Amino acid sequence: MPKWQQQIRTWIGRYFDLPADVMLDLPRITTIGSIHVYIENHTGLLHFSEEEVRIQYKKGQVRIVGRDLGVKMMLKEELLLEGELKSVEFFPDSKGG
Amino acid sequence: MGNQRGYFEGVLTIEASGPLLEPFLQACTRRGCRVTSLRRLDETTVRFTIRLKDWKILRSLRRKYKCRLTIKEGKGVPFLYKLMRRRLSVAAAFLAALVLVFLAANTLWSIKVEGLTPELEAAVEKKLNTYGVSPGRLTIGMKDPNDIQQQLLEDIPDLLWIGVKKQGTSYHLYGVKKTRHDTNQDNQPSNLVASKKGMIVQTFIKKGRPLVSVYDVVKKGQVLATGELVEEGETFVHTEGDVTAETWYRVEQELPLQQIITLTDGTVETEYHLKIGGWSVPVWGWWRGTDGSYRDENVTTDWRVFSYSLPLNMKRVDHFAIDTGAMESSRKEIEKIGRKAAGQSLLQELEPGAEIKDEKVLHLSEEHGKVKLILLYKVYENIAETKYISQGD
Repeated sequence: MPKWQQQIRTWIGRYFDLPADVMLDLPRITTIGSIHVYIENHTGLLHFSEEEVRIQYKKGQVRIVGRDLGVKMMLKEELLLEGELKSVEFFPDSKGG
Repeated sequence: MGNQRGYFEGVLTIEASGPLLEPFLQACTRRGCRVTSLRRLDETTVRFTIRLKDWKILRSLRRKYKCRLTIKEGKGVPFLYKLMRRRLSVAAAFLAALVLVFLAANTLWSIKVEGLTPELEAAVEKKLNTYGVSPGRLTIGMKDPNDIQQQLLEDIPDLLWIGVKKQGTSYHLYGVKKTRHDTNQDNQPSNLVASKKGMIVQTFIKKGRPLVSVYDVVKKGQVLATGELVEEGETFVHTEGDVTAETWYRVEQELPLQQIITLTDGTVETEYHLKIGGWSVPVWGWWRGTDGSYRDENVTTDWRVFSYSLPLNMKRVDHFAIDTGAMESSRKEIEKIGRKAAGQSLLQELEPGAEIKDEKVLHLSEEHGKVKLILLYKVYENIAETKYISQGD
């Protein structure tokens, strides 16, 4: 995505007060304490194990580290994880931004 | 909430193994699968549950992603239904077998006719067939053996007697043919005597010697014609002939002026009950009102298994509507009715060929709402009676 498009999107989002996830194709991640993670607007499950879950979104990856992780529910763009959560890390693509 | 819905639609627990598990799951969800309770079991195996209707999507994708799928468990209504179906068929088969046994036990399998000539046997069987009694028919709703017996005796004049017995699933008929005994009684010496008091009107003696003539008044038992052709002779012959005499009958009647008549006007309401032991459960027609007066007729059908009668019966109750009406008649009418009835009953008592020649009202009075009627009838009838003469000894 060209840089100027990105800027226009940011500007429109700000101007109309729209939620950032809708405008910018970013995942919305909600955690409930450290037991549930609710991820919307993702594009794919990359890796899944009891200690680590990696999720793809438009402009990068999210890595969730924890213990005893499991997917409670998985839909097209939603993911509900449960388990003992330790950290959520972002790895944006170097290209995007 | 989603859980409940999943239960109704059916839920499959699946174990998948292969090198490309994550892409596989991603592809599945992109196509609309709903993957829940995803857990990794080991490096290459995951376990998850999907809705039953998503199974097709999984199957179509498993080759592409080189996954091995094994169904571990099926839960929910569709699986329950399947299980029930399997048991239901067993139950249905059992029920069908019961019905079959019941029907077989209530089918007429054979008819045995004994004691009759082949022609008569064939006639009996043919008649039975027209009554609806033939092998292979259900005995439910068939006529009672007693009725069949009665009807056979009426319809086949050559039968002297027939016994119809129901033995389990077969009918046994024992018949006796009517044998016509042509005894030579017609040739035995006999007299003609008067069977009742009367005045001779006409004599016609075919054989024998007449002893009376027209206008003679004879008493009961008097010899009218004798077989002794010559007086004090040795030869006795058979006497034959008709002697018509005038006889008299006195008929007394007492008839009420007012009569209460109950009439069935033909309206029938039928109820059906299922009788289980002493209980009677209305099955059909119980809603039909019983307003007005009714006369009830109960018909109970026995259902049998072999020779045991079931405690289950079908009872039919027919309600016949009754109209009650009082009929007031005048004295004149009563007299007319009385005369007619008296004449008819008299003719019924007399032998055929008798003729009422005259009718006279001797007495007609009315008291306490009743009409007393005394009639005198003059009748012409044959009074000749054959009496055999015992010979020898």
